[in-house]
Amino acid sequence: MKDVMIEARGLERYYQRGSETVKALDGVDITIRKGEIVAILGPSGSGKTTLLNLLSCLDAPTGGTLTVGGKSVAGLSENQLVEVRRGLLGFVFQQFSLLPTLTVRENIELPLIFLGVHPDSKKTNEILAAVGLADRATHLPRELSGGQMQRVAIARALMVDPKILVADEPTGNLDKATGESIIALFKRLAAQEGLTILLTTHNPAFALEADRVITLEDGRILTDAPLARASAELSPQPLPCTP
Amino acid sequence: MRKDNFILRRYFGLAFKNLRRRPVRTALTMAGVALAVTVAVSLGGFMLGYRGAIDKSINMLGFQVMIMAKGCPYEAATMMLKGGTGLLYLPADTYAKVKSDPEIESITPIFVGVAQKQASGIRDDDTGTNFSVISGIEVPSYRIMKPWIGFKKGAGYDNGRWFGQQSRDEVVLGFEAAEYEQRKVGDSFYASITPAGQPAAVMHEFKVVGVLDRTGTQDDGTVFLPIDTAREYFGRPEQLTILGIKLKQFSSFKLREFETRWLKLPEVQVVGLQQVKNTLVSLVATAQTMIAAVAMIAVIVALIGVINTILMSVYERTSEIGIMKALGARKESIFQLIWLETVMICLVGAVAGSLAAIVGSGLVERAIKSIADLGVNGSIVRITPAVIAYAVAGAVVLGFFGGLYPAWRASSMRPVEAIGKGV
Repeated sequence: MKDVMIEARGLERYYQRGSETVKALDGVDITIRKGEIVAILGPSGSGKTTLLNLLSCLDAPTGGTLTVGGKSVAGLSENQLVEVRRGLLGFVFQQFSLLPTLTVRENIELPLIFLGVHPDSKKTNEILAAVGLADRATHLPRELSGGQMQRVAIARALMVDPKILVADEPTGNLDKATGESIIALFKRLAAQEGLTILLTTHNPAFALEADRVITLEDGRILTDAPLARASAELSPQPLPCTP
Repeated sequence: MRKDNFILRRYFGLAFKNLRRRPVRTALTMAGVALAVTVAVSLGGFMLGYRGAIDKSINMLGFQVMIMAKGCPYEAATMMLKGGTGLLYLPADTYAKVKSDPEIESITPIFVGVAQKQASGIRDDDTGTNFSVISGIEVPSYRIMKPWIGFKKGAGYDNGRWFGQQSRDEVVLGFEAAEYEQRKVGDSFYASITPAGQPAAVMHEFKVVGVLDRTGTQDDGTVFLPIDTAREYFGRPEQLTILGIKLKQFSSFKLREFETRWLKLPEVQVVGLQQVKNTLVSLVATAQTMIAAVAMIAVIVALIGVINTILMSVYERTSEIGIMKALGARKESIFQLIWLETVMICLVGAVAGSLAAIVGSGLVERAIKSIADLGVNGSIVRITPAVIAYAVAGAVVLGFFGGLYPAWRASSMRPVEAIGKGV
């Protein structure tokens, strides 16, 4: 299928802790298509961060097959995973993870420096405008609010024209209104740019804004449902996730 | 990986901003490097300057070989360059015997004695412990040996001249001797000389007939008398201190030949200038080795400080490094960034240390001279661009090696773990 962005079969991630083998992820099958917004939910220790790390090539699986952007990544070294990430994936983290010594403009242009690409200030300005920070380009992160910092992180992720945007708890440190504006921005990017968005969240309301909701428990997929079904299943009860 | 200038500038910018994040820590680390480089540059300057000063002092003697009474070569070196104490004397007829050697181009006899100055200068103190080095010379042969010697000009110094060979009350003062005593041409100069074998000193009054230009050698501090007068006043009419000799052809082979010829005289030793240089250098070689060891320790301590600082910085920025890797930074990019920070600390520290060494070279020189009289005149600390270039290059090379481990640690972090350890 040519619009498949991520495909995992029997995906495993085991850790050795002394003599004990911890099965953080145990045989996950998943297919994510271009332009989908997929929310991953689950309680602490369910394996959602491990799954996100594997699907975004930050970590390598210990078993199963995984294809990201048409490239098989199972068994790749860290150096090889970097090459897959470069230009294919953009990242947004819960803690914003901006470099405190760099201005907003320098922060969002940072990935280009590592790619050895000259930043195009026109493009930088367009992306800053798209995330509503056109007037904050020369500010340092400490001069911004939490919502603004997360927008900078999103702008930074967009600078490399990624096909997949990976967001780990992107609204975790934001108030409800700001969180809603970030989710709205993701939906706009998916609709306008055809961006595939993979996110974890604790907020059921935000999860229900996604096209699909995947719930995990003990390293296995509990449910994998499109929005309509997930909405029906999840609405009456609290989501099986922890703050 | 080749990077163009723009990307390199961004890397430098990133490294610079990271260092500015902890300004006090960075400044202290740089200060450690600067201190080590200051010591290293000062030591290098001292080694260079001291050898240069010895070369200059010995070359300005005008002769390549000297004949003196048998004794310790250290004494010989001291005697020749400082006037020395514990002087030994040759029979005066040695001059007549050696003079006939066919290999000699020129020869001059010198009689050295030490006189006590009594109420002669305005700087005399109450203890009466001021001494003057008196050189009795034979003017015609001395001038041939040192053709560059001239007389100081200017008000109070014009019409300077050498004394007559038989004069008994005329002196010529070296530049510094005249400055120290504040004497000009026509002034009186007093010296108390104790003749050999006599219990009491005899005071002599001399007229200053000339003040020499500065030569940067031991001559500057010397008081010159006709050799016969000096010998008479010191009660040694048949003795000499040294014979300065210039050979027609000078080489170690010729010197050995010459030495062999004149070792037949039982009371003399033939000393080549190279030998004297080696003796003088060896006098401070031990001290230099100790200073070099201290400098080396300072460098090692500074390097440990740099590695510690960068490692702390790497640990503090674990999460950031993970983020940078997630954003597409390769291992070598992180390595280069951390390595650049190390080299920048060492480079800035080295430049600051070099400047401190240049500014403080006068102090270092005074300190060294106050601790030990090294037997040479002129500057003994010579900080050249080459010394600085070596020190800066050495610091950068050390930074290069010192930065390897922190850079390797940072570049080896797995992003998924580094992000998880975020502060």
